[in-house]
Amino acid sequence: MPEYKGMAQPVKATVEDLKKLRLVPVPDEKKVEEAIRLLDEARKKFRSFVLAMESCVKCGLCAENCHAYLGTRDPHNIPTNRAELIRKVYKRYFTLEGRWFGKLVGAEDLTLDTLEQWYSYFYQCTECRRCGSVCPFGIDTCEVTMIARQILYWLGMVPKLHVGGGWGIERVGNQTNVAKPAIVDTLEFLSEEIKDEFGVDVRFPVDEEADILYVPSSADYMLNPYTLMGAAMFFTYIGAKWTIPSFMSEAGNFGLLFDQRHLMRHLFMRLHDSAVNLGVKKIVWGECGHGWRAWKMYLPYFVDRPLRWEITHLHDEVAYYIRTNQLKLDPTRNSQPVTLHDPCNYVRACSPAGPYGHTENMRTIIRAVTVDFREMYPNREKNFCCGGGSAVLFDDPEMYQKRIQFSQTKADQIRATGVGKDGNGILCAPCSICKAQFYPMVEEHELGVTVHGLIDLVGKALVWK
Amino acid sequence: MAYFIVQILPYIAVTIFGLGLLFRLVRWAGARLLGTSHEITLAPFPQSPFQAGWVFLREIAFFRNVFFFDPSLWVGAWPMHMALFMVLGGHAVGFYFTGHQFVYIGMSPELSEYMSNLLGSVFGLVLLLGLIYLLVRKVSLVKTRQVSNPSDYLHLIFLIAIVTVGDIMRYFPQYGMHYEEVYEYFKALILLQPVPEFVFHNWFFITHMLLVQCLMIYFPFSKLLHLFGMFAMRWIENRVHIDPEPGLPGVDVAAARARGTGLPSAGGTA
Ligand code: HEM
Ligand code: SF4
Ligand code: SF4
Ligand code: SF4
Repeated sequence: MPEYKGMAQPVKATVEDLKKLRLVPVPDEKKVEEAIRLLDEARKKFRSFVLAMESCVKCGLCAENCHAYLGTRDPHNIPTNRAELIRKVYKRYFTLEGRWFGKLVGAEDLTLDTLEQWYSYFYQCTECRRCGSVCPFGIDTCEVTMIARQILYWLGMVPKLHVGGGWGIERVGNQTNVAKPAIVDTLEFLSEEIKDEFGVDVRFPVDEEADILYVPSSADYMLNPYTLMGAAMFFTYIGAKWTIPSFMSEAGNFGLLFDQRHLMRHLFMRLHDSAVNLGVKKIVWGECGHGWRAWKMYLPYFVDRPLRWEITHLHDEVAYYIRTNQLKLDPTRNSQPVTLHDPCNYVRACSPAGPYGHTENMRTIIRAVTVDFREMYPNREKNFCCGGGSAVLFDDPEMYQKRIQFSQTKADQIRATGVGKDGNGILCAPCSICKAQFYPMVEEHELGVTVHGLIDLVGKALVWK
Repeated sequence: MAYFIVQILPYIAVTIFGLGLLFRLVRWAGARLLGTSHEITLAPFPQSPFQAGWVFLREIAFFRNVFFFDPSLWVGAWPMHMALFMVLGGHAVGFYFTGHQFVYIGMSPELSEYMSNLLGSVFGLVLLLGLIYLLVRKVSLVKTRQVSNPSDYLHLIFLIAIVTVGDIMRYFPQYGMHYEEVYEYFKALILLQPVPEFVFHNWFFITHMLLVQCLMIYFPFSKLLHLFGMFAMRWIENRVHIDPEPGLPGVDVAAARARGTGLPSAGGTA
């Protein structure tokens, strides 16, 4: 499976996997016809998609601005060529010039092979939007990827990894598929860890009535405990009444990545219901890039009831308390050289301009809690993706090899900062998918850094007395 | 044949051009975008309409993204487009005022005509060189070859053809047409009258007209509509977005620190 006619592909979900999400795959002989119908629907609905199909001048500027192309030099990984996989079909069926002058303008019939090609290349795009932000017209190939993935999902072509996350969302409210008892256990364990390491009493309230609903990434329970610990220490330090909802224990939203209809909304409604049931006043988001994009930019348009709460990101809140001098911090506790990887979803898809936007807030925080902070270049909204975005975190050998290539540009950037020269550098990557990508990748590229969230560093720097 | 090109085709070309544009724009407008779907604002999010306008302006007037992310493309693209706008504007103004447009800013008619000729010559040449540069770039770089369809080269070749004929008329006056003559020609066209006899004797002019009209006919159905696509796309992406205020409900940090929340002696959370 992981290869189809020489193209790398993530392992596909089986019919049984799909059944858990109550999706019946379209039989092969009907796939082409159904795909054209869905494409027709998409073009009538999303203007961003139509413009990506119809306004590209093929200047090629986006090519060397996509880490996937830089790492693989595979022509189909040039953003406009990725979009061309759909554009050639779009032209053939939906434009006059394509119907009349086929070859001349590059129009082509849709075939099963083309669909396999979509499956391969739209899962090599990390939806990082760098192409959109550098294109002279703002043509956003991420939009094309999203539509392609949605159509592929409805046809029954979707990675096992993504369906696994979706199934967890429906079953227990998070992608890691951890149920409440395991969450509570883990949190109690983390409480003890904090006591041992920092000597403070910090509780993790679950499902309690509170002012603040804090939604951590479910990966934090197992993979990034220091991020959860940092958040809990911060809330305790400022004396907040906060709680974690077990019904919606996920800052991410895999729905954004392959099913923006049912799955994305399902999780949105879980948030809504948790907020009502726990009587909270404000919702604060944990470290997760794609998730934050979904909740910040999509939620208001997708949720089935009016939203009554403001939702902010934990970084924006922490930065606010730092700016107003309400936290006592000791940066020498994080004395190693540090560099910051800007998660694309924060800096390109979510951050307002100016000194109080998310992008600058991350810098406000990192400067306050570390002593040797070094920017990598390019940074902020010009950064390159880690290469794992949109859960391109496959570990079958073919796709894993791609992930190493996708992270090449990032690795070069990190190496250039020199933070890992003595093997004790810190790579701050405040997004769950970035972390999941970097844990193995810093080893593969021998970067001499360890990977941390931003809130991890805040937790360590808090001075309690 | 010549009669068809200079007397009949213009009406057809203008009609197809107009209806074609309308067709494309209505098609775009027909696709819903925001509010009912999602926000795809691109960072850094403008904080005021003024800032959003600035993003549009710097991309249109300076091709900022091209400059920063592909300077060698900018070297050809920006002068080419600026010359193109000048030449298009020059056609309209020059023929309407028969070269005397600068009289209105205080020049003598002779000087005005001289200026008009000079600007036309300079921008006509820049335009041609820019287009040739872009064509050479397109065929010589691996990445642009990988993204281009045959039509993408043809667009450039076609524009080069138009501009070459135009420049010949400009640089070799014996093949050209004088401002007054063109004025009369267009006046006749607009008033739906038979066009003057002298037009039929200038084959450069006829060729130029033919090529331009072909361009007008296919323009609405091609990527050349990026002119509008850019506005439509940025209208979606470069929008004002303002975050909610930070600050958490029920939190008094000073009081919490005075109580010593988290410290073992104070016991537990707030
Ligand atoms: C506001 C108006 C316009 C803007 C902002 C604009 C901008 C751009 C940009 C940024 C590029 C990419 C760079 C390049 O490939 O050269 C481009 C390409 C191009 N533009 Fe425009 N353009 C505009 C109007 C026009 C018009 C009216 C035409 C011609 C009829 C035109 C013809 C072309 C051509 C042929 C290319 C492709 C060049 C190539 O393939 O390398 N543009 N435009
Ligand atoms: S930068 Fe934009 S216009 Fe240029 S090839 Fe890429 S998508 Fe097309
Ligand atoms: S969104 Fe990112 S990964 Fe996808 S095509 Fe654009 S630059 Fe490449
Ligand atoms: S994983 Fe991180 S770097 Fe990669 S797309 Fe998401 S936010 Fe960007």
